[in-house]
Amino acid sequence: MRTLAYFSLLIGLVLGTSDRTLAQEITFKASVDRTSIAAGEQLKLTIALSNTQERFGAPDLGGLVIVQGPFESSNMSIFNGRMSSTITRTWVLTAAQPGRYTIGPAKVKVGGGYIQTDPITIEVTKGAATRPSDPNATLGQQRDPNLFTTISLSKSKGYVGEQVVATYMLYSRYNNLQSVSKELPKISNAWTEEVDLGELHWEEKMQTINGLPYRVAVLRKQVLFPQRSGKLRIEPFEQTCVIDRSFFNQGRTVEVRSNAVEYTVLDLPSGAPADFSGAVGELQMTVTASRTRLQENESVDLTVRFSGRTNLKLLEAPAIALPNDIETFEPKVTDRITVNGNGMSGSREYQFLLIPRHEGNYELPPVTVSYFDTQIGDYKTLSSGPTMIEVLPGDGSATTTLPQRPAQSDIQLLEKDIRHIRTGDLELEPVGHELFASPAWIAGMTAPAIAFMLLLAWRRKQAREAQDIAGSRRKAADRTARRHLKLAEQALQSNDREVFYSALSKALGGYMADKFGTGITTNASETIRRRLADAPDSEQLATNYQRLITACDMARFAPVEEVPRATLFNEAAALIGTIEQRTRS
Amino acid sequence: MKHKALLIILLLLVTQRGSALTAVEADTLAARAARAYAAGDPTAALALYDSVASMYSSAALYYNIGNCHYRSGDMARAILNYERAHRLAPGNEDIVANLEQTRAQIKDRIGELPSFSLGSWWEVLRGGSDPDQWARRSLWSCALFFALLGVGLFIRTAILRKGILALSTIALVGMVVSLFMAYDRHTELADRSSAIIMDAKVDVRSTPSAQGAVLFMLHRGTKVQLLQAQEGWQEVKLSNGSVGWMPEGALERI
Repeated sequence: MRTLAYFSLLIGLVLGTSDRTLAQEITFKASVDRTSIAAGEQLKLTIALSNTQERFGAPDLGGLVIVQGPFESSNMSIFNGRMSSTITRTWVLTAAQPGRYTIGPAKVKVGGGYIQTDPITIEVTKGAATRPSDPNATLGQQRDPNLFTTISLSKSKGYVGEQVVATYMLYSRYNNLQSVSKELPKISNAWTEEVDLGELHWEEKMQTINGLPYRVAVLRKQVLFPQRSGKLRIEPFEQTCVIDRSFFNQGRTVEVRSNAVEYTVLDLPSGAPADFSGAVGELQMTVTASRTRLQENESVDLTVRFSGRTNLKLLEAPAIALPNDIETFEPKVTDRITVNGNGMSGSREYQFLLIPRHEGNYELPPVTVSYFDTQIGDYKTLSSGPTMIEVLPGDGSATTTLPQRPAQSDIQLLEKDIRHIRTGDLELEPVGHELFASPAWIAGMTAPAIAFMLLLAWRRKQAREAQDIAGSRRKAADRTARRHLKLAEQALQSNDREVFYSALSKALGGYMADKFGTGITTNASETIRRRLADAPDSEQLATNYQRLITACDMARFAPVEEVPRATLFNEAAALIGTIEQRTRS
Repeated sequence: MKHKALLIILLLLVTQRGSALTAVEADTLAARAARAYAAGDPTAALALYDSVASMYSSAALYYNIGNCHYRSGDMARAILNYERAHRLAPGNEDIVANLEQTRAQIKDRIGELPSFSLGSWWEVLRGGSDPDQWARRSLWSCALFFALLGVGLFIRTAILRKGILALSTIALVGMVVSLFMAYDRHTELADRSSAIIMDAKVDVRSTPSAQGAVLFMLHRGTKVQLLQAQEGWQEVKLSNGSVGWMPEGALERI
């Protein structure tokens, strides 16, 4: 074959100067390998031009899309001195949508006129697509089949705070393409985390979309954390590309605009636990203490490690209600977070440095954190078990970066609260009851006073009565004395000596006792002197009394009668009369 | 005979209680309320204490009711009840502590708060006892005074008489002091010239009408002194001296 070609070339050169009109009849024909395909399948369009060197382009493809091509081949043959040549251009075509497509006539300029091929009708049926076509890609493709961009999300709906990955893709069928600039959409209502992709990197494998192979590059990836429920819309972005730029060629600038995407953000269900951290996704927690036996004023590291696939950067340090004797500081945060095409994942560690200040056994309370588990669609609470720390008395050699505290410290007032209720006896009193100024109280206050008054009155009366006995006796003294004198007078007449002296003695002694309130035995003459001191004849009266009473006693107890009885009687009566007179005046 | 009749009347007056709720029942209710409070149910405790309070009163009861309101978050009612308890027992430390703690929770902070001079012997002597206690003391000292005088009448020995006289003088002083105290506390209790604001927000106006200019605003839980009243309006005075009119319904007297 090769020899033949060489040979024919040689002959061509030899005959080159010969008349060109010897050339054969010019033909221009278009043909397809099949006229009926299923959507997405390919067909081959071959256009052959014989015996002329004119160039020709692709005809109007009537909606069919070029998958490959054109491939060009030419051959020349000299047969019996007649040379014939054919140029064949072949395209591989396809159609995404079923329907009737017409490939228009291809034209070529020959001499003064044109010749053209016959149009070909292609029937595209709704066949089974070879691969599910990307709806976004379809959308983009409708603008420019050779270059388009898309935005796609890893899912179409999710909860507030749940991560979703947005991918910005560039599809191209140009070989020489430079991405110049891209204006990326701004996303509000979502916290975004950029995935670092490095240089623009074309994927090795071509992707076939609607039957066409494309080179694919990921322009950008973002991890989104929607912050508000409702519709989250990402607006289309503009991408400017330069095609076919080379040293000699300025190239062509193409602007493409991507599709817009919408994402449904669901609100978190109500009933979030009080310690809800805001994390949505998957979360694990481990709590470890670096040691559980230590001396006072030594330190222990308590590490709380969160890991999982969620927005770890938003996780705050857990609140640990430490016993008050344990000092702690701001925790050290260590992040091992990766953001890639699968979203944000990794771990965040909070390291608390704890320094127990006093010996004893301490129970570090459990660390609890709640998150929203998107798998089960509900809140979940993670809780570590309580951590026991045994603190031994220090020997003073504890190495601590902090100044030693005095062993004694003031009682710290941690919280202010009201005091507890009074229990037991509440000393209840009936409403409206008041003892002060009540009738009972007035009665109670006056009763002792009245009682005392009564007591006093009774005593007065007693005293008065006692005084009255003496008075009545005094008043009756004269009468009693007269009664006795009367008895004495009768005895004088009847000459009864014994009775006379007894009655006279009683009259005299009794009178004195009654009159002056003295006893019978007291020295009556002294009493007379004292009581009747005012009277001028008191001395004489006393002497007379003494003389009379002595005479009476003598006559009573001895048989001596110095004075006649009648004289004695008269003198006694006169004396009593005189004393009565003196005491009255 | 006369004495006996008087004693019987006295006893009747003292023991007379015209309430449907007996003292034993009231004590039972109070004990149940204390248990409910300790179990963390101030609302149930409050209902029980309120039923006791319809018939009985005491500083401790008001104090407990105040605690229930505090725990239920009703600071104004807590202050009202603490103030009532404080008026009954001005020397009680617990009441003062809770009153101060509750006052820190309300919105208004007017001037300086009235000072509680807990340390003074006067308050300690006076406080902690309601007028009834002083009235009871006056009764005892009165009885003792006259009893000693009565005994003195029958004593002839001079030195004993002098001793009895000295004792009765002490009793007399005790009687006068407790009478004075009882009167003082009685007037203090009868004086209901302060009130607590119960509405969330009250406009205090310059005149007793809705057209009056708003001088200042007061909030729930603030204590005011009551001056004069007029057609549903009440003139009030704050501890910082400001005076204005507000609707009567916004207040509750202590």
